Amino acid sequence: MARSVWKGPFVDAYVLKKAEVSRESGRNEVIKIWSRRSTILPQFVGLTFGVYNGKKHIPVNVTEDMIGQKFGEYSPTRTYYGHAADKKAKRK
Amino acid sequence: MASERVIVGSLAGAFGVKGEVRLKSYCADPAAIATYTPLSTEDGRLFRVVVLTGQIPNGFAARIEGIDSKEEADALRGAALYALRARLPHLADDEYYHADLIGLAVSDTGGTPLGRVKAVLNHGATDLLEIARPEGGETVLLPFTLAAVPTVDIASGRIVADPPDGLF
Repeated sequence: MARSVWKGPFVDAYVLKKAEVSRESGRNEVIKIWSRRSTILPQFVGLTFGVYNGKKHIPVNVTEDMIGQKFGEYSPTRTYYGHAADKKAKRK
Repeated sequence: MASERVIVGSLAGAFGVKGEVRLKSYCADPAAIATYTPLSTEDGRLFRVVVLTGQIPNGFAARIEGIDSKEEADALRGAALYALRARLPHLADDEYYHADLIGLAVSDTGGTPLGRVKAVLNHGATDLLEIARPEGGETVLLPFTLAAVPTVDIASGRIVADPPDGLF
């Protein structure tokens, strides 16, 4: 069952606080968070979060199209190394 | 730094009794493996023509020039298939093949070595370079962005990184 709209998106309070402090400082840093359940909000766009996956913090650069998703979706808890083959990486 | 050959797939035995093989593709677009011919095995055996004849679970059925019987196909079970790096298409600016990035030395803007690229990962956000530190231990993930990785020089085999605070 979906979350009631009147409640608004769920975000752990410490994530909001850390994001605000980082944005105000203007420093280029990774904001370490453990809250995989928090929703990505518009004010997080442009920040880099280190989302804990149970072992380490995975850097996640937040972009506009990630709004509304949960942080945990971008920090997998299992790693699979395939073959490089012809796979490409784009520097954005 | 890019190696001359890139692994693009492997053979998984015979398909049927008429000399077709089971072909596993590791390519981003699996069917593209047939366009990277000639393919070669680890020991240098060359296959000039690869025709995909159908799709099967975990890969393709294929007819490969030089393999005419089930016995020959079975003998090649497990053989890795390599394509020449030069056969891969040219990419747009700021696009790189994982195979080219893996192994590059990474240093910071001051020239301090940070490690070597071990793998390139993508978990849905930006691409990430997994960097093995010179002293060993836990690897570090560096976002593959223009801000964090201002210079990629494949010819000289190095990457200059400007990592965010708290990453290394």
